[in-house]
Amino acid sequence: MRTAIWRHFDFWLLGAVAVLITFGLAMISSSIAGNPQLLELDIVGRQITYALMGFVVILVSASLDYRLWVAVSRVLYVLLLILLLFVVAVGETSFGAQRWLNIGLVVLQPSELAKITMIIILADFFARNREGAKDFKWIFRSVLSTLGLVVLILAQPNLSTSIVLMTVWFALLWVSGLELKHLALFIFGALLIAAIGFPFLEPYQQQRIINFVAPNPEAALDANYNVTQSLITIGSGGVLGQGYGQSTQVQLRFLKVRHNDFIFSAIAAEFGLIGAVAVLGVLFFIIWRCIRAAQLSQDTFGSLLCYGVAVIIALHTIVNVGMNIQLLPVTGLPLPFISAGGSSLLTFMFGIGLVESVVARHRALNFS
Amino acid sequence: MSGAAQAGGRTSLEGWRLLSFLIAIGLVFFIFIVRLFYLQVLEHSNWLRQADDNRTQVISLAPPRGVMYDRNGVLLASNTASYNIIATPAFLPADSGEIEQIIFELANMTGLPVTRGSLDEPLIPCGTNLGLREMIAIQTSFAPYNPVQLQCNVSREMALAIKEKSIDWPGIDVQVEPVREYPTGEMTAAVIGYLGPIPAAIEPQMRALGFVPNRDKVGYGGLELYFDEILRGVPGRRVVETDVGGQILRDLEAPIETQPGQNLVLTIDMRLQQAAYQILKRDIELWNDFIGETTMTSGAVIAMDPRTGEILAMVSWPSFENNRMARFIPAYYYEQLVADATNPLVNHAVGAEIPVGSVFKLVTSVGILNEGVVGVGQVVQTPGLITVSERFFEGEVGRSREFVDWNREGFGQLNFIGGIAQSSNVYFYKVGGGFQDEIPEGLGICRLGTYARALGYGELLGIEQPYETDGLIPDPTWKRRTQGENWSTGDTYITSVGQGFVLASPLQILMSAAVIANDGVMMKPTLLREVVDGNGNVIQTFQPTVIRDLTRDAVIEKYENPSGIGACRPTGEKVTVEPWVIEAVQQGMRGAVQFGTLQQEFDNNPIGVAVAGKTGTAEYCDETAFSKNLCQYGNWPSHAWTLAYAPYDDPEIAVIAFVYNGKEGSSVGGPIVRQMLAAYFGIKEVDNEQITP
Repeated sequence: MRTAIWRHFDFWLLGAVAVLITFGLAMISSSIAGNPQLLELDIVGRQITYALMGFVVILVSASLDYRLWVAVSRVLYVLLLILLLFVVAVGETSFGAQRWLNIGLVVLQPSELAKITMIIILADFFARNREGAKDFKWIFRSVLSTLGLVVLILAQPNLSTSIVLMTVWFALLWVSGLELKHLALFIFGALLIAAIGFPFLEPYQQQRIINFVAPNPEAALDANYNVTQSLITIGSGGVLGQGYGQSTQVQLRFLKVRHNDFIFSAIAAEFGLIGAVAVLGVLFFIIWRCIRAAQLSQDTFGSLLCYGVAVIIALHTIVNVGMNIQLLPVTGLPLPFISAGGSSLLTFMFGIGLVESVVARHRALNFS
Repeated sequence: MSGAAQAGGRTSLEGWRLLSFLIAIGLVFFIFIVRLFYLQVLEHSNWLRQADDNRTQVISLAPPRGVMYDRNGVLLASNTASYNIIATPAFLPADSGEIEQIIFELANMTGLPVTRGSLDEPLIPCGTNLGLREMIAIQTSFAPYNPVQLQCNVSREMALAIKEKSIDWPGIDVQVEPVREYPTGEMTAAVIGYLGPIPAAIEPQMRALGFVPNRDKVGYGGLELYFDEILRGVPGRRVVETDVGGQILRDLEAPIETQPGQNLVLTIDMRLQQAAYQILKRDIELWNDFIGETTMTSGAVIAMDPRTGEILAMVSWPSFENNRMARFIPAYYYEQLVADATNPLVNHAVGAEIPVGSVFKLVTSVGILNEGVVGVGQVVQTPGLITVSERFFEGEVGRSREFVDWNREGFGQLNFIGGIAQSSNVYFYKVGGGFQDEIPEGLGICRLGTYARALGYGELLGIEQPYETDGLIPDPTWKRRTQGENWSTGDTYITSVGQGFVLASPLQILMSAAVIANDGVMMKPTLLREVVDGNGNVIQTFQPTVIRDLTRDAVIEKYENPSGIGACRPTGEKVTVEPWVIEAVQQGMRGAVQFGTLQQEFDNNPIGVAVAGKTGTAEYCDETAFSKNLCQYGNWPSHAWTLAYAPYDDPEIAVIAFVYNGKEGSSVGGPIVRQMLAAYFGIKEVDNEQITP
C-alpha cells in the first residue's frame, strides 16, 4: 500500500511547485542585488532553507492520511486562538501591525497558520453536514468558527488575511451547495458591509483604497509611488523583457518591495510579457491540479480540502498580481511560491502536501 | 479503510460548482493577461521612457563667470570662494549613535542647534528654522545621496576646521561655492552692476542653455548685465545614470566640458575712478553740510579720452554696495534702494534725463557760425534783459515777453568768443531766436535740432551700459503731439540756452564737448578695451570707432523754414561743419577758463596745462522739487553742470560733472572738474616717471 500511495502521487503538481520556487529564488536574488541591507539579511539563503523545509513538509504531509488532520485541527484552532490573543497583546510590531511572533529561531506568523487550519476545520464541517439542509442555520453555523479567528486577526490589524479567511469560508460554502438565491443575498450583503465598514478601517487602509479608486496624479511621489513604479517596471519590460538582472527599475531600486509584494513586476520587467504569462500559466496549472485532486478524492472531506488549497493559491495570485498591475488595491498578500517569505511559503507547501495526500489515496482503496 | 464505505468512495461535490470556480479563475487570469498586453505591448514605449527618466539625470556644470579688470589690470569684479557646511546622509555612519555623536560635536563647533522645529517644516538650504537632527532626518528621507547645506558662508577658519574633522565625520563636508566679489565696491557699482537670480521671464531660455535657476546667476545691472552673455560662459553637461537614492553610477553620454566666461578689460583707470568717486562724494557732502540740509542728492562725473572715446572714469552718486548682493539680494536692502528717490541703482551718468542748461550753448554756438547767423567778430548788444514778442502762429502779433540774463546787470556787448566765455543768455537768445534788426533771422528750432543731434544729443551713443537714455531734443511736431500746443517763438529762445524741454544724460553732454575738443570727430564712447579668454588670450582688441566726423560727414540738415513756426521741413540737402567753426567754439571754451565763467576756478593755472570749459546752470522742476514747493516762478531750483577738456592744444581728457540741485554750475561743478583734471595729470605724471625713471 505504501508504494501504491506514491504511484498516484501527483509529480506534475510537485514539479510545477518546484519550478516556481526555483524561479522565485532566482528573481529574489535579482531583486535584492545592489541592496546591501537585504543582502546582509541573506534573504536568498533563508528562502532556500524554507523551501527545503517545505519539501520535507510536502513529503511528510503527503505520506500521512489527510483525515488525521481533523483531530489535530481542532487542537490547532484552540492554540491559534490563544496565540492570536497573545500576539494582539504583546506581538512584535512590524510596519505598524502586530503580525509577527518571534519563537526562537523562526519568526512565525500565526495568521499564516490560520489559513490552513481554517480550510481543515471548514472542510470537516461541510463534509459532515453534506446531507443536511442548505439553510440559513447551516450558513450561520459554518461562519461561527471562521469569525472566531477573523475577529482576532482583524484586531492586529490584518485586513488581508481576514479577507482570505472569509473568502475560504465563502468558497467552501459555494462549492458545498449554496443556493443561488442566497448567493444573490450575499453579494448584496457584501456590498453593504463594505460601505458600512469603510469608516472603521485604519487610515492607511482607507488611503490605499482611495488611492486605488481615485489615484491622485500629483501624489506619484508618495502615496502612489509603489504602484506607479510597478506599472513603469512592468511596462518597461515589453514582450521579451529586459533580461535577467537587467531591468533598471529593479536593479536601481526604483521598484519597492521588489523581492516580495512586487516581485511579479520584477518578473514582468526582466522576462517580459512571455515570462509573466508563463508564471500565470504555471500557477493556473497548479490550481487546476488541485481542483483535479478535489474531483478524484475518495471522500467529500478530501475534496473540500483540495478545493480550499486551490482557493487560497488562486486568491493570493489574483490579489497580488491584481495589485501589481493596478487592477486591485494595495494589500500585503504574497505571490504564491515566488515571493520571499518563509511563513507563506511553508503554508502553501503544506497545502500542496495535503492535496498530494488526497490524490495519492484516491485509487489505493480499489486494491485494498 | 473506513472511508470506503462512504458514498461509494467518491466525492459528493457537484462537478459544475468546481468547474465554475476554475472558469472564474481562468477568466480573471485572462483579464490579467489582457492588462499585461496593454501595459507591455501597447504602452511599452511610454513606460520605457518613464523608466529611463527615472534613472537618467542631466547635470549642468556651472561655468566660472568672467572677471573684469581696469585698463591697468586692477580687479574690479572677481569670483571668490564661499564655504558651506554640508551633510550627505548616505555617507553618514550606519549607527545612529555615531550620527548623534557627530551632530553634537558639529553643534558645538558651529553653534547650530542640535534640534529645532519639526520634521513637517520645509527644509530650506542654509535655513535656520531647523536643527541639525531635523535637517539630516528630512534629507535622509528625501534624497540621501544629495548633500544638504547645514550652514552657509562660514569663515575660512571654520571651513578648514570642519574639513579636518571630516575624516572622522563621514558624510559631513565643506562645499566651496563661487561668489561674486567686487573689490572696488561702491566706487564702481553703477558701472559694474551686480548679479541676481535668473528672472522668471528668461528662465525657459536660460534653462535651454543649461543654466540652473537658484544656482546660476545673471547680471542685473551695469556691465554685468550688458555683457552677461560674454561673462557667463557656457555650462557643461553630464548625462548620468543614478539609482533611486540619487547616487551617480556612470555617464550615459560623453560629458560636455564647461566653457568659462570671458574676461573683460575695461577702459576705466581705477585710480581716476577712485578720485572721481571721492571728489564727487566729498564735494556733495561738503556742500550739504555747508547748507545744513541734504539738498544736493545725486550727481555724476565722467572722464573720457576724446581722441578714442575711452571712458577713464564714470561715477554715479549715490552708489550702492554691490558686494551685499554677492550671495543673494537681501530683500530689505533692495527695497530700500528701489524706494530711494535718488535712484542709487540707476547709473546717472548714462541713464538719467536731465535739463541741460547753458552747456547746450555749445550746440547753438556751432550752429550760428556754421549757418552764418553771426560772424565770430560780430558784436551783439547784451543788456540784462530783452523783450520779444511771443508768437504761436506765423504773422501773429503776439504778446511781449521778457527774457533775462543770469547776469541781471548785463554784459553790455559781446562778440562770439565773449558770448560763450561769459555764457551770456541774452547773446544766445538773440542769435538763437533772432532779435529785431540786430539779428534778423536767428538759428531757429529746426536748425538747433539738427546741430544738437550732430553733437550727440537725442540719440543713443551705444555705451556698454543697460538702460542708456536718448534724452529729448524738442521740435514743433513733438510739441504739437505731446503738449497739444504750437511751438512758440519763446520756446526757441529758451531752447537756445538749453532750457525748456531739452533733456540729456551727462554722457551726451560730455560727448558734445568731446567732439569739439577732438576737432569735430566724434568717437564712440566705450567702457570696453579688450576681451580676454580664460587662458589670457586676447580675443578682441581695442579699436577706436568713429561715429562721425562733422567736418567731413554731411549730417547737418537744411530746412525750408529755418526759424519758421510750424513743422520743420528739411530740404533734403545736408552739409558739413566748417573746421573754423569748431576752432572758434574751442576758443570760446578757452575764453570761459581764461576770463569767463570758469576764470575764478582756474585762476593761476592750477593744473599746469591749458584748459577749456563750459558751465551750465539748468533750471528744473521735477516731482521732487514740485512736492517740496521749490518751483517758484523766476526762482526755480537748478542743477549744476561743468564741462572741461585739456590740454587745450591737444586734448586728451574731457570731463563732465553734474550735481543734482547743485545751484550753480561754476561754483559746484567747477571745483569737481578742476580736481578731476588735477588728478588725471597727477596720475599721468606718475605713469611717465615709471616709464622713464
